[in-house]
Amino acid sequence: MNYAMVKRLVLKDWYLQRWAILGSLAGIVATLGIIATGAKVAFLFGLILLIIVIISIGAHMAVATIVTERKEQTLPFVMSLPISYREYTASKIWGNLLIFLIPWLTMVVGSIGLLLWSPSSRGLVPYTAVMSAEILLSTCLILAVALITESQGWAVAAIMVGNIGVNGLGYAFAHIAGIAKGMWGPTIQWSGAASAVLLAEFATVVLLLGVTFFVQARKKDFL
Amino acid sequence: MNDLSVHFEGVSKIYPHFTLDDLSLELPTGTIMGLIGANGAGKSTTIRILMGLVHQDRGLVQVLGREMPREQAAAKLDIGFVSEDMRLYGPATLAWHMSFVRSIYPQWDQAYSEMLLRRFDLKPEQKIKGLSHGQRVKAALLLALARRPRLLVLDEPTTGLDPVARQEVLGELMAVLADEDRTILFSSHNTLDVEQVSDQITFIDRGRIIASDNKEMFLERWRRLRLVLSPEAGLPSLPGVVEIGGSERLPVLVTNRFDPAMVGACNDAGATVQAVDTMTLEEIFVANVHSRREKQTV
Amino acid sequence: MHSDLVISQTDGRPMYLQIMEQIRQRIAVGDWEQGKEIPSIRQLAVSLRVSVITVKRAYMELERDGIIVTQQGKGSMVSPDPELGAKLYDQELAKHIDRVAQLGELLGLTPKEVASRVREATDRLTTDRLRKDRLTKEYS
Repeated sequence: MNYAMVKRLVLKDWYLQRWAILGSLAGIVATLGIIATGAKVAFLFGLILLIIVIISIGAHMAVATIVTERKEQTLPFVMSLPISYREYTASKIWGNLLIFLIPWLTMVVGSIGLLLWSPSSRGLVPYTAVMSAEILLSTCLILAVALITESQGWAVAAIMVGNIGVNGLGYAFAHIAGIAKGMWGPTIQWSGAASAVLLAEFATVVLLLGVTFFVQARKKDFL
Repeated sequence: MNDLSVHFEGVSKIYPHFTLDDLSLELPTGTIMGLIGANGAGKSTTIRILMGLVHQDRGLVQVLGREMPREQAAAKLDIGFVSEDMRLYGPATLAWHMSFVRSIYPQWDQAYSEMLLRRFDLKPEQKIKGLSHGQRVKAALLLALARRPRLLVLDEPTTGLDPVARQEVLGELMAVLADEDRTILFSSHNTLDVEQVSDQITFIDRGRIIASDNKEMFLERWRRLRLVLSPEAGLPSLPGVVEIGGSERLPVLVTNRFDPAMVGACNDAGATVQAVDTMTLEEIFVANVHSRREKQTV
Repeated sequence: MHSDLVISQTDGRPMYLQIMEQIRQRIAVGDWEQGKEIPSIRQLAVSLRVSVITVKRAYMELERDGIIVTQQGKGSMVSPDPELGAKLYDQELAKHIDRVAQLGELLGLTPKEVASRVREATDRLTTDRLRKDRLTKEYS
């Protein structure tokens, strides 16, 4: 794996998407500002805004950096560079994930930090952890589908499935005994169910990325 | 050092509606090969297999001594590729593309790239999406040429270019060959260009290579003979006749195995040779394709 | 080394013949002198935008005719043969005479008739020159 080339490809995609990336950074700063005003409503509003930013940038980047390479016919140019599918796939995954992780980590650290700091809502921590991982999983799904199918139609479908999944599972998790118990309480009540779900989510992320690499290796027509 | 820049042996690729069948090709270093074929004949597929962008189902592909697609990353360091369906990034400028490519290839020649900007009349600050088709083709060529690659692979490099741009491009391609270690493979349906600059010519039709030889041999071996048959004489039997036209008393034969001795043989057989015409590459190609498709044998 | 040869694509004759003819002309009129270095095959190919193999063919045939000489590793040059100019014109004459014979045969002339036509042509040339000399003398 030629890491120097992967880095150049990542920087190339970031340069081409610089406005979207800057927009998402501005969105994060705005939400942090809203949350910092201290009001409880502001906290919820800011959190929702942050989630919107995260999901949007994840979906947009996946489509803009992967599907458009084929649509705009720039794929032959990229593949004429001294790379193989490995560097191409790696650069798309790294390039997208790193940009996604900035707002995502902001949300995870920020929200869990705030929850721990405020004595009355620590019970939400397990739920927050599980839902954050869920959003990460959804984005990885979009990435995997976009890379494997290179089709706008499938990518959009994955985005929809991801959103529905986050909402649906959000509702479901809130009603699983292990997670829901003590959710609205002042103490963290970590349970086996929460651990299991978290583990499953991260395992699925690894699986998705692994399957992506595997399928890309098998592709016989890169064009 | 391998004396073949490109070597295809028994290469096949099967698609639902098209098959590339048992392709074998040899391109010696320091030469320029023109690939001629109708649309859909398999030129682009062949070139993509060469670049490792499409994996062959069967057969050996070696480019600059490297096996494709396995060693494609290493091979592409020395290959410059421009294809008709390739686009650069619209929102970015030509200057950005130049610095991007320069950061990847150590052999980038900055002075040469600037000369090419002048010769191709391109402005680096211009965004790609603002360029005309011809300018985009020249921009892509500039990016490939300025790296001084050992092998240039071009899919329809002059298609869609105005006559002035075409001559500029042909001039730059020939300049590449001033270095006898550099090789060019290009596909085109502009037979005039191919005829002018190619050393080797390969005809491809419906997924098969139907002829591959050096250009002068093609031009030497193909002739159109205009005969006048005396009333009792029949058509003389000549080797390599692929097409018979004209009328019964004034037949016109196209042969791919011309030999000056044929003229005497015809005259002796009662068929006066009125004219022996050389044929342009386009005429040779069309005759070749027609004869194969109609399976005409004499 | 920039050549001043001009190749035409609309000229019906093969390119290698055009190249040969132009090189012969340059030598015959003295533009390219005996023993002068001429562009290498590749250099000429690049400057004419014509395939290397075509230039190679032209050079090979010229060498066969004794017009140029190629030395391994040293490039090509006009043959240092002092009789070169005469040799070129002689080759030119031979070519035209062959053509005259062919045309005569096509027209159905006997060898004697062909020869008498050639005689008429040389006589015409002499008469024209005498007339020109006389006119120049009258007006000088």
